Amino acid sequence: MTTYILRRLAIGVGVLLLASVLVFTLVAESGNPLGPLLANPLTPQSTIRLKILALHLNDPLWQRYWIWFSHVIRGDFGVSNNGLGVGHQLQIHMFVTLRMVILSTVLSIFLAISVGLISALRNGTVVDRGVSVVNFVFLSVPVFVVGLVLKTFVAVPIDQHFNRVVLATAGEQNPLATGNFFQRLPDYASHTILPTLTLVLATYASWAIYQRSTLLDVMNSDYVRLARAKGISPRRVLLRHILRNALIPVTTVIALDFAGILGGAVITETVYGWNGLGRFFLDGVNNLDVNVTLAYLMLTAVIVILFNLMADIAYGFLDPRIRYGKR
Amino acid sequence: MKISKKIRPLLAVVATLALGMNALVASASTPKVQAGGTITVDLNETLAGFNVNNVNSNEFVLQEIMQLVWPTVYFVNNKLALTLNTDLVTKVAVSSKPVETLTYTINPKAVWSDGTPITADDFIYNWQSQSGNPAFTDKGGAAFQPAGTTGYSSIVSVKGSNPAGGASCDAGSAADFNAGLCPNGKTVTVKFGAKTPFADWQGLFGMIVPAHQGRLVGWNTGFNINGGGDESTLLSGSWYYVSSYNQSANTVVLKKNPSYWAKPGNLDSIVFAGSTDDTSGIPGIQSGTFNVFEPVSTSLAMIQQAQAAGSSVSYNVQPGLQFEHFDFNQANAYLKMLKVRQAIAYGTDRSELIALTVGQAAPTTKPLNNHIYMNTQPQYKSNGNAYNHQNIAKAKALLKSTKKFKLEKDGYFHPTYGPEKGKDLSLNISSTTGNPIRSQTEQVFQFQMKKVGIKINIVNYAAGDLFGTVIPGGRYDIAEFAWVGSPFATGNNSIYCSYTNKADCGSNWVHFKNKTEDKLLAEGAAAANPADEAKFYNEADAILWKDMVTLPLYQKPIMTAWSSAYGNILPNASSVGSTWNAQTWGLK
Repeated sequence: MTTYILRRLAIGVGVLLLASVLVFTLVAESGNPLGPLLANPLTPQSTIRLKILALHLNDPLWQRYWIWFSHVIRGDFGVSNNGLGVGHQLQIHMFVTLRMVILSTVLSIFLAISVGLISALRNGTVVDRGVSVVNFVFLSVPVFVVGLVLKTFVAVPIDQHFNRVVLATAGEQNPLATGNFFQRLPDYASHTILPTLTLVLATYASWAIYQRSTLLDVMNSDYVRLARAKGISPRRVLLRHILRNALIPVTTVIALDFAGILGGAVITETVYGWNGLGRFFLDGVNNLDVNVTLAYLMLTAVIVILFNLMADIAYGFLDPRIRYGKR
Repeated sequence: MKISKKIRPLLAVVATLALGMNALVASASTPKVQAGGTITVDLNETLAGFNVNNVNSNEFVLQEIMQLVWPTVYFVNNKLALTLNTDLVTKVAVSSKPVETLTYTINPKAVWSDGTPITADDFIYNWQSQSGNPAFTDKGGAAFQPAGTTGYSSIVSVKGSNPAGGASCDAGSAADFNAGLCPNGKTVTVKFGAKTPFADWQGLFGMIVPAHQGRLVGWNTGFNINGGGDESTLLSGSWYYVSSYNQSANTVVLKKNPSYWAKPGNLDSIVFAGSTDDTSGIPGIQSGTFNVFEPVSTSLAMIQQAQAAGSSVSYNVQPGLQFEHFDFNQANAYLKMLKVRQAIAYGTDRSELIALTVGQAAPTTKPLNNHIYMNTQPQYKSNGNAYNHQNIAKAKALLKSTKKFKLEKDGYFHPTYGPEKGKDLSLNISSTTGNPIRSQTEQVFQFQMKKVGIKINIVNYAAGDLFGTVIPGGRYDIAEFAWVGSPFATGNNSIYCSYTNKADCGSNWVHFKNKTEDKLLAEGAAAANPADEAKFYNEADAILWKDMVTLPLYQKPIMTAWSSAYGNILPNASSVGSTWNAQTWGLK
């Protein structure tokens, strides 16, 4: 197992390097980040010259990449086009996003398992069909539509009814809120409920559908029939035999999907005005900011590689039939 | 190009859009409002720093914040008239002989929030940092990086006199570049060069950076947001100060400046906080998440949303300062002919373009007939009336009269020379990708030109490419983008003066040159009074129409929406934005 993990990590580093070269080239060659400045007739030429020097825009591509790489391996992500430290910004934005993503992921897991279980246990009934329809609706509807609908048809009527902000539609917190964490908890909750619910609804559906499918497979397997035949109680059969085995593939799917959740968070943050990784990344793309874009992409690449590895390792632990390493 | 809100001409802070100095303050009634309270304004851009005069932080929303924190000599009201800020400067004397000289008398009570008097040194520092003169350097010897130097580069000296309380003048220091300039003076004398008078001087000294803080922390990076408490030391010389900035949430809280020596702001605090996209705006106001919203772009859907919101949301749509236009690249073998450009202009139905695009959101939008002044400015003169209506017959006649184009059976003209010889006369139109209104405009234009007999191909680029290399490199035929209608007519000089003058005319991408135009633009920039300035610039504009240098289309509408619970919110079409009078806002 250790050899397997080390080998996967080594491959991961190689993938990261390759991705960094590809992304750097794509972003650097996408256009001139000084375009808007150049288009403004009032921008002094001296300022433009200084910006060109600061951003190394006249240097060859390989040299610019080397400057970036040699700083990144020392933990320095450089500065953005407007002179702010990228590493510091990445950290700040990451904590904002992780807050939403972690909460959404946990809630999505619970919801997906619950819904999948209900659907599987009531297989073929009206309940099952109804739940499946709902699942497919949320699977199909884009996340920003869910967000806009929640804002317009849930938050606004509730807030107007109570004549105060119960469900905030933009921002992560009230800037005027004071006190310690617990005193500010109602404000955090008010700002977190809608974005989290949006991301949950956009995420749970595919997992619920997959969970239902694996549950049905397991429920119809021979060892479950044997367990029932042996007189084991239905509850014990469900918990010890069915659910435990049905969770294995779903666990790996969730781990693999984590990067997709981050992508959904980008859109959710835009809809709700959260200043997270999504905004950080979109600002970087819009400004043709190589350092910002690469920092975001490196972060997500690391997350994808790590979670893929975790999925493989988890699978190996959960299913004793799976073993890694030399045979 | 769409010059995004992020990039606004620095001097646009104090937009001069009307003739006459010292016009009356806000020409709208100021209903009674309650004292105290809080308002939240949406903040739809990520802040990079607080020095709005620096190129890295020159953002529209930051301007809206800092005009409440750092003092400005002249401000613009919602009727686009200039008003002297007598809280800061009690009077300004102007003389033009022997050289243009301005004498500001600073209010003796004016102080920064740390108790340091506002003096000539602040004016000296703000001139030096924005002059573009390499003799003046920032902290550590670095070159200043101002967002703009227009006007400041025309000044040759700024000197103080009459220190408060009859004190003697400070000697100043070489390190501060104010040796011998009486930096502690409460009277400031600004002299322009004999050959560089500047007509739009009222736009100078907007959002004045405190000199003693700027020198200490550095102009370029000292006001950058580091999230480490910098904002708590940010000095104020106006109604509000920056109480807190939350970098992770991108929110700014302004509170009343206790050191303000004149009538204080009405609201206790003004919060700038989070929406990142325009769809959040109206629901945000309805839910109370924020109270004032200015979308990046105005759409019919947004206006309908505001209408459907009922009495709880007030809104206003008016022509803004950005105007869409077509650039004609005269380096193109065919566009270099005046009659070809005129034919295109006659064939373009601007009213139809408007009706099918922005007119759906703002039906009162009309064609713009001036390159320099907007429809809403008193200096505006409609110099392009000849092109008010589409005239296909005249367009075709013009092309035929050149004897270089033959109308073929396929309905298109075939040139008898050049790269398209014997083929359909084809021209590319280029704009920014991902802009539905521009896409629609291009398609309608393509259809209109088909009737004239010119084939139009649509070739769009990402904004960075379009303005970074395509347009400046001359790799286009016709380009569609927006200029920000300069609040100072002088801001147009670099666009329309002869392109052969690369030093001063760097924004002339159409390869236009005309000596008479150069003379008129120079005379306008040096005009002794606003009436002469308008006269020269309108004459310059007439030449631009005669030569069909570019074709202005329309002023882009802007929308402001706000909660009806608040009073005194008066949308301002200039680049100062809706917070121009935020010190008077309050709950009804």
